[in-house]
Amino acid sequence: MSSTLVWTIVILAGLGLALALLLYLVAQKFKVWEDPRVEKVEAELPGANCGGCGYAGCHDFAVTSCAASDLSKHYCPVGGDPVMQKVAAILGYEVEKKAPMVAVLRCNGSCEVRPRTNTFQGAQSCRHKAWLYAGDTGCAFGCLGCGDCVQECKFGALSMDPVTGLPVVDESKCTACGACVKACPRQLIELRAKGPRGIREYVACRNTDRGPVARKACSNACIGCGLCLKACEHDAITVENNLAYIDFTKCKLCRKCEAACPTGAIHGVNFPKPLVK
Amino acid sequence: MKRITFSIGGVHPQDAKFAKDRPIEDLPLPKTLFVSMAQHLGAPAKPVVAVGDHVLTGQVIAEPGGFISAFVHSPATGTVKSIAPRADLAGRPVPHIEIEVDAEEQWAPGIDTTPDLITAIPEDRQMMLDRIKACGVVGLGGATFPTHVKLNPAPGSPAAEALLINGSECEPFLTSDYRLMLESPREIIVGAAIMQKILGGPRCYICIEDNKPEAIRVMRATLAELGYGNMVVQPLMKKYPQGGEKQLTQAVMRREVGSGALPISVGAVVQNVTTAFAVYEAVQKNKPLLTNILTITGDCLPVEAQHNYRFRIGMPFSYIVSYAGGIPEKAAKIVSGGPMMGRAIANLEASTVKGSSAILYLSESTTARWTETACIRCGRCSEACPMGLEPFLLNRLYKAGLTDELEKNAVQDCIECGCCLYSCPAGIPLLDNVRQAKLQVMGIMRARAAAAKAAAEAAAAKAAETPKQ
Repeated sequence: MSSTLVWTIVILAGLGLALALLLYLVAQKFKVWEDPRVEKVEAELPGANCGGCGYAGCHDFAVTSCAASDLSKHYCPVGGDPVMQKVAAILGYEVEKKAPMVAVLRCNGSCEVRPRTNTFQGAQSCRHKAWLYAGDTGCAFGCLGCGDCVQECKFGALSMDPVTGLPVVDESKCTACGACVKACPRQLIELRAKGPRGIREYVACRNTDRGPVARKACSNACIGCGLCLKACEHDAITVENNLAYIDFTKCKLCRKCEAACPTGAIHGVNFPKPLVK
Repeated sequence: MKRITFSIGGVHPQDAKFAKDRPIEDLPLPKTLFVSMAQHLGAPAKPVVAVGDHVLTGQVIAEPGGFISAFVHSPATGTVKSIAPRADLAGRPVPHIEIEVDAEEQWAPGIDTTPDLITAIPEDRQMMLDRIKACGVVGLGGATFPTHVKLNPAPGSPAAEALLINGSECEPFLTSDYRLMLESPREIIVGAAIMQKILGGPRCYICIEDNKPEAIRVMRATLAELGYGNMVVQPLMKKYPQGGEKQLTQAVMRREVGSGALPISVGAVVQNVTTAFAVYEAVQKNKPLLTNILTITGDCLPVEAQHNYRFRIGMPFSYIVSYAGGIPEKAAKIVSGGPMMGRAIANLEASTVKGSSAILYLSESTTARWTETACIRCGRCSEACPMGLEPFLLNRLYKAGLTDELEKNAVQDCIECGCCLYSCPAGIPLLDNVRQAKLQVMGIMRARAAAAKAAAEAAAAKAAETPKQ
């Protein structure tokens, strides 16, 4: 009786040891070495897997950043500078500070100022609409209003305003991952510097038609008159193809262009005081 | 006799050929014409006239902008007022030549404007091809592919065994091809015989759906009268999209055109009856393609108000609409082309082009989309697809963004006929999504082909360098 018990214990223990050894050897043979820093870097990243950095996700970002010799090609727009400082500390690299960015809609053709000329019946998607025709208003450049950008946003920072028919960016939620920029078939969304205390100035239009044509389609359109160009003292404005553009790296937020604009195509946001013309 | 048709898929929409008893009328010229430079498949044409020039009817005003492109001729006598971008049907800017029309019409020299029929076909094949090219003839079945390119297959492609003259006109409502077959059958048959000769004498089938018995009768009688050999009138069972060239090839020759291939790969060349008419005018009369026939029809238009008009290219749609009596009250949508494949006109000021075939007024009840509900996997779309695709699957793959899978499921073979959308009981926008998927996949395929070409060129350049060392 007792000998049966002893043999059972011996055989099972022996089997266990042999299999453990086998497992150990196999594990050694097929071991995949992973940089121990990858795990640390990944822990610092936001884990949104949005792809805003240009890599397939946060893990891919961590792996490629550990393999890279510097961080010039790696920047997490969601985490911003604080996260990048921590990542740089782990890897022992230097990282350049970048100004926080935010998505900006370069169209202000609300239902009120941009009359509808026809009704679109097809599948409600900007992509379909943009491929089929110039849109349901006279403006062939403006927002199509089906909300492809809203669907693409993983952070809930975009929503459609039912009154204006345009998407609205919630600055507190926007991480500047750039998903909406890719989603817009008309390239209406631009990532711009958030500015001090969120103050920024931009041309909310992309219409390159001649002035009268643009004005007829939308009373808020940039008509390329160049008054802003003359008003700007900092050489921040360029007018090309009947369309003005403000370079945010040069803009000093003086609001002179906004005051000069006859159509209201230039928008200033988050200024503490309203503009006095 | 057995009724023949293509074997995969297809739908049977209401016939609705209301305008079939309305004879073709000539539209008077308006004061101004706007001639588009993008009237054909391929590169836009380049204007060869300047502002202020006086042009004669039939004079070349633009030359081809590439290999696949076509000449454009002045549709009237007058003065060039401007060359500027103008919104097309979809509202997008396209270069147009504006011509202010003179009171008196004067044709360019060398054009035979008499109505006499010339049945003797020239011997010189190259001369005929050159004339077709010089007269700007393009496929008038809808795709507007330059005819001289199609009639002159690239070296190495199989010899043409059959020339299919497409008179099936499978789209509901349209009657322009039908009227042309009744009113100008001789010209069509001579045009077909010319194309037959250019292609080296394949058997020629004039394919007409059997919902047009009068056209079949007239074409048969004319064929017997003119006595061209190796040419028959082939009646077909009515089914949409019979007029698709792959479907027509399969119906008549019982040969399936492979994925991504053209009908010439199985020895078929398909040309529309209107193209045959244009080829006749080009070769026998040296008359450029300036006119086409357009049906004004719709489900909310009384038959007395429906017309078949012979229009000159460049006439604005708004002019034709007002000439015909204005937009009917109940019209909710105005379509250029048939109800299945036509495009809604977003801009009525746009001008007609070589391929314009109809102005269609549809009422609210006909055009309204259904509310989209869930796919119940009934398989009607797969049964209806004439290309043997599975639209419900492609729709799901598109929504999931799986482009590799879409390519494996041959989304690029979609002919955008709309049978899936027509048959879907759940109101799912299948065509919209499949078309978008097709665009994405074709973009990827083109990028891949370009990358492969660049790599091959780099390898060739490297191979050329090595022996020097």
